[in-house]
Amino acid sequence: MEAFLLGLSNGGVCLAYCAPVLVPCMIAEGGGAAASVGVLLRFLCGRLAGYMIFGAAAWAVSASLLRGGYRTPVFGAAYMVFAVTLVLYGFFGIGGRCGVSCGPASLLARLPGALRLSFLAPVAAGLATGLSLCPPFLLAMAGAAEKGSLSYSLFFFFMFFLGASVFLVPAPLLGALRVYPALKTVGRLAAGLMGVYYFFTGLLMLAGGMKGL
Amino acid sequence: MKNEAQQTFLSEAGQAPGAGRRSPLAAFLICLPMMILTFMMLFGRQRPVGAVQDIAFAATFVFFNLMFFLMVYRQRTERYRAVLFIVYAVAFVISFISQIVELRGTMALTQANILRAEAPFCHIAIPMTLIPAALNKTLVFPASIAGGSHSAAAMFIIWIGASLALGRGFCGWGCFFGGLEDGFSRIFKRPLLKLTGGLWRYLPYAVLLVIVLTAATSLSPTYCMWLCPFKAVTEYVQVTSFTTLIQMIIFISLFAGLVVILPVLTKRRTQCALFCPFGAFQSFTNKVSGCGIRADKDKCVKCGLCARSCPTFSIDAESIEAGGSRLTCLKCGKCVDLCPKGALSYHVKGAAPAAKSDVQRLLFVYPAFLFLATMGGAMVRDALFRIVKLVATGHMIG
Repeated sequence: MEAFLLGLSNGGVCLAYCAPVLVPCMIAEGGGAAASVGVLLRFLCGRLAGYMIFGAAAWAVSASLLRGGYRTPVFGAAYMVFAVTLVLYGFFGIGGRCGVSCGPASLLARLPGALRLSFLAPVAAGLATGLSLCPPFLLAMAGAAEKGSLSYSLFFFFMFFLGASVFLVPAPLLGALRVYPALKTVGRLAAGLMGVYYFFTGLLMLAGGMKGL
Repeated sequence: MKNEAQQTFLSEAGQAPGAGRRSPLAAFLICLPMMILTFMMLFGRQRPVGAVQDIAFAATFVFFNLMFFLMVYRQRTERYRAVLFIVYAVAFVISFISQIVELRGTMALTQANILRAEAPFCHIAIPMTLIPAALNKTLVFPASIAGGSHSAAAMFIIWIGASLALGRGFCGWGCFFGGLEDGFSRIFKRPLLKLTGGLWRYLPYAVLLVIVLTAATSLSPTYCMWLCPFKAVTEYVQVTSFTTLIQMIIFISLFAGLVVILPVLTKRRTQCALFCPFGAFQSFTNKVSGCGIRADKDKCVKCGLCARSCPTFSIDAESIEAGGSRLTCLKCGKCVDLCPKGALSYHVKGAAPAAKSDVQRLLFVYPAFLFLATMGGAMVRDALFRIVKLVATGHMIG
């Protein structure tokens, strides 16, 4: 309950971190409210995965396995990987085979459904935001690190995730924007731009972390 | 092909069908109220002191009014607007940098300046400031809220008035940055690189979406901090860390790419057409402004000259079929002046399609020019003063 309330009380901040990535992804999919629920669910799955990684890391820190020095470059590298997914989705997946760039787009179009960027991008976006080192997260991490076992640490973060996700429930209403087809392109480009931002953030974390080793 | 080339030549020479000239006396009478207004604005704002200031004042007054007279007399808009607009942008850079250096001793914006909210408010920051201002009553820009012409309140008032009157014409007539790329886009006679816009036309809207969301959530002017190309020629955050160094590299790269190199190669205003979030935001105001560009489908011969020459990819066969230019139109008048068949014209909303097109053009050009003169007059005058001072004394600061 403590973790749930912590998530709930910091949900506004979590929404602030998520909105710049979630909103473009939803607009990019161009579906109605139902389709936007799908995007939100994938986003939340990615975010939950990020939280679970954090929960495990919090436990590992407390178990002296993953000492602080490695954390920053590891997360920096993870940011860069997810950012590349968003950039590919945003700038190379536009318009199917004859979008901004036909080469990468046609290659990506051959992937099976579950591996397509349009499917994976919200998951990657959720992971990227799930791995953010925002103040509520550090609080939750400190709380989880105090717990003795891995399962308890993961459960702590799961409850934190539930509390923080409440604020994202109204997001599928953005599906109403599908009456403007151009917004789909705008959303994808915006997701790509956010990818560039995360790539840069990851690069700085990686460089800073490597320097500190 | 030859026919098209001839039409292009004729149009660029100002002799296209439909081009006419007003009598000099009629043109003078139309310009007279504008002369009085510009005199009052230039003289009343900062009265000239000394011979050099007198010369700068007189030159600015004559220059602005001569350009306006030619717009009225020759019934052409774009080339005279362009001259004014480019001079205005160059004058802005000279005047702004000089004043900033006089005030602070450097072009750099220090942390102390930011904390004291001493940065002049820029119109490009407007879209970023709206949501935080509405939700948190916070101005996410290090400028004063009220007091003086550089405050946020002053810029908001100017912006609301100009948007109602001109729509995105703000970007074609009033933006103090647009003239730089407009100037660079005119260096070569023909484009060395053909750019059609395509889906990249949506990029400014994506930049707008990202910066509005990130500014609202981080409560900081993200575009100004990371993406503004014009930081390279105005003020920038003092380089004190690796992050500020990266910011500086981004500013200079974007300026070189979007404001200099691409406009030179493509003859388009690439920063305005493909990147500027304020431009994207301002496009929506074209819906409420009273004037736009109308296309007469019956007169159009589909030569494509307007589409090839539009600086912001705002007109093409599809938009002509829909009745005019796109939402992103700057109302610079280039397509109107170039159209060999007179199929394009300025159009005042509510006016009958058959109404005299030059009267409608004047109904737009009058407030547009007045806005340009209001925004640029003092800057051109100050820049002229500083240039004369530089020639006479060897320095323009102080």
